[in-house]
Amino acid sequence: MTEPISSVKPPLLDVHDLKVEFDTYGGTVQAVRGVSFAVEAGKTLAIVGESGCGKSVTVQALMGLVPMPPGRLTSGTAELRGRNILGTSKIDGQDFRGSEIGMIFQDPMTSLNPTMTIGRQIAESLEVHRGWSRKKAMARAVELLEMARIPEAAQRAKQYPFEFSGGMLQRAMIAMAIACEPAILIADEPTTALDVTIQAQVLDLLGDLQRDHGTAIILITHDLGVVARMADEVAVMYAGQIVERGSVDDIFYRPAHPYTVGLRAAMPSNNPNAEHRLLPIDGSPPDLFSPPAGCAYAARCPHAMRICNSHEPAPFTVGPGHFGKCWLHHEKVPNGAQTILSAVEGTPAGDLVAAASQSAEEHS
Amino acid sequence: MWNYALKRLIQGLITVWFIATATFLAMHAVPGDPLSGAKAMTPEIQQNLEKKYGLDKPIGQQYLIYMKNLAQGDLGISFTQKNREVNDIIREHFPVSATLGIMAVVFAALGGSLFGALTALYRNKWPDNVIMLAVILGISVPSFVFAAFSQLAIVKLNGLLGVSLLPVAGWGTISHMLLPSLVLGLGTMAYLTRLMRSSMLEILSSDYIRTANAKGLPATRIFARHEMPNAILPVVTVLGPAIAAITTGGFVVELVFAIPGLGRYFVQAVQQLDYTVIMGTTVFFGAFLVLMVIVVDLLYGFIDPRVRVS
Ligand SMILES: Nc1ncnc2c1ncn2[C@@H]1O[C@H](COP(=O)(O)OP(=O)(O)OP(=O)(O)O)[C@@H](O)[C@H]1O
Ligand code: SF4
Ligand SMILES: [Mg+2]
Repeated sequence: MTEPISSVKPPLLDVHDLKVEFDTYGGTVQAVRGVSFAVEAGKTLAIVGESGCGKSVTVQALMGLVPMPPGRLTSGTAELRGRNILGTSKIDGQDFRGSEIGMIFQDPMTSLNPTMTIGRQIAESLEVHRGWSRKKAMARAVELLEMARIPEAAQRAKQYPFEFSGGMLQRAMIAMAIACEPAILIADEPTTALDVTIQAQVLDLLGDLQRDHGTAIILITHDLGVVARMADEVAVMYAGQIVERGSVDDIFYRPAHPYTVGLRAAMPSNNPNAEHRLLPIDGSPPDLFSPPAGCAYAARCPHAMRICNSHEPAPFTVGPGHFGKCWLHHEKVPNGAQTILSAVEGTPAGDLVAAASQSAEEHS
Repeated sequence: MWNYALKRLIQGLITVWFIATATFLAMHAVPGDPLSGAKAMTPEIQQNLEKKYGLDKPIGQQYLIYMKNLAQGDLGISFTQKNREVNDIIREHFPVSATLGIMAVVFAALGGSLFGALTALYRNKWPDNVIMLAVILGISVPSFVFAAFSQLAIVKLNGLLGVSLLPVAGWGTISHMLLPSLVLGLGTMAYLTRLMRSSMLEILSSDYIRTANAKGLPATRIFARHEMPNAILPVVTVLGPAIAAITTGGFVVELVFAIPGLGRYFVQAVQQLDYTVIMGTTVFFGAFLVLMVIVVDLLYGFIDPRVRVS
């Protein structure tokens, strides 16, 4: 009698040890330094972190959108349902981009072809990936625009991007990205360029589409309010690495990395009960031309120890599916986890959670 | 759109009137007149002739007569060619110049867009380097040098092959037209190539090309539907001036290749101070160029939706 080989379902997308470098005149930038994560079907993974920490490069590397040169993949694997997608754009001769993984970008105003109608730009995917006729694809494009809550979709499909507002363009982008019903939708700061009032509409749309179609979403954002509202899982990136990874509750209630705590304290909050203090993290991220030998956060970390400067911390598992890349979790550090939670003076974790959920409510 | 076209047409008419007036004034400002160069003439004959051509009238009156005739499409009679109307000269020889010019423009526009796109796609690789070297040559070497060298090359080639591959000069068949129109379009092609290169480079790194890639479109489709249509827009905007450059360059090429176009007559007329022919051809060319620029602008409006709709 043989046991089933594995009772655990493999994840939809499994990224392992991804490294991306850029050759520049100033030297080699190590933009992504060994990133691993998995995406489950129908779930949302949020990737958060400061500007320049490598969020965009990570997902663009998966989509084959990193310009090479100057970019270079130096290591890593990425498997979509067990099939490699890294360093190629094809699975079985078929381009997986647009069909299996869709993507939307930060600035909808510049992300659409200015001289092609919105409808054609949506229909195009269906013609290419499904071999549909122009007419059939156009009809579906109108339906997709309706799904994206564009009023008078039939007329709108015949218009050009400059005739749309920013929010409508982003919804049209979403319609375009999901045209072929991809299993995964990557959204790289989809609301950053939009008015606050429009942001909520776009997030709502993403949430509803996910519920209706079971699409997994990789959501890149700066905004912890968006994370609280949308995410199931969170990966916190710092200097080209994932320094903490856990469920959204882990990240808000049981942060396992000082940087996560710092990020949250730096988040603006309108919560009248919380302290009206914004605590930006002192200092700036390390130079990615020559990243430090130890913990990348050491120069800014309030708890940095001697070992932090010389040895890179391992990802310590602190709970199911929850790890923090910080020496404070080492067994020889007494009360390490507590130290992290008490990191921001006068701002207990509870306040931060309140602030986050408050901000989430404001979005809805 | 129609309003716009009408507005442009009226502006064009004003421009043509301006050209006509300027030509008239310039003509009368240069010393001498068509009659002064001729063989010894008795004052009587000279007076008679001046009377016949109206040269004895005050300049203001001459201007009014000229304008009136122009408005009626009458460009007058040549001073130096017996009884030939300027209209006839234009009717007979302009089609030749126009054919040459149009072929040159087509060469320049197609070549420029294609080579420009190629250099951008192969940026800093050998096709880029080779083409950009040719572009520098094309921009800096005047067309009569190319004309002479190409004739020389054809003579050698014909001699080498023992058959007449292409005629060296003259006019009549397509094979007569190929070489001169290529030579005529070369400078403009070089200029358009450079323009297209920078335009295409900008498009290649644009967000919407990244989007097209993220949609998984094949490279050929991205090139044909997304890159080319956007990258040629700047090329189209300069097509008006490009046509002007080619038309004026045509005078020289017509001379070198012995092509019976209007340019030759113009150069001749200038040498002989043939008032009516100079003014007539200048105004005609001017009007033609103004019309071309308007046509190109309207064409631009048609291919760029941002202009078309608004
Ligand atoms: N084409 C490139 N050439 C050189 N360096 C690059 C290139 N693209 C990205 N980088 C570098 O890679 C690093 C990560 O950039 P990335 O765009 O992924 O940051 P990000 O986390 O998305 O930031 P943001 O929040 O501002 O979008 C940056 O330091 C950036 O300078
Ligand atoms: S490893 Fe050390 S420096 Fe890095 S975050 Fe943990 S305590 Fe701070
Ligand atoms: Mg980014």
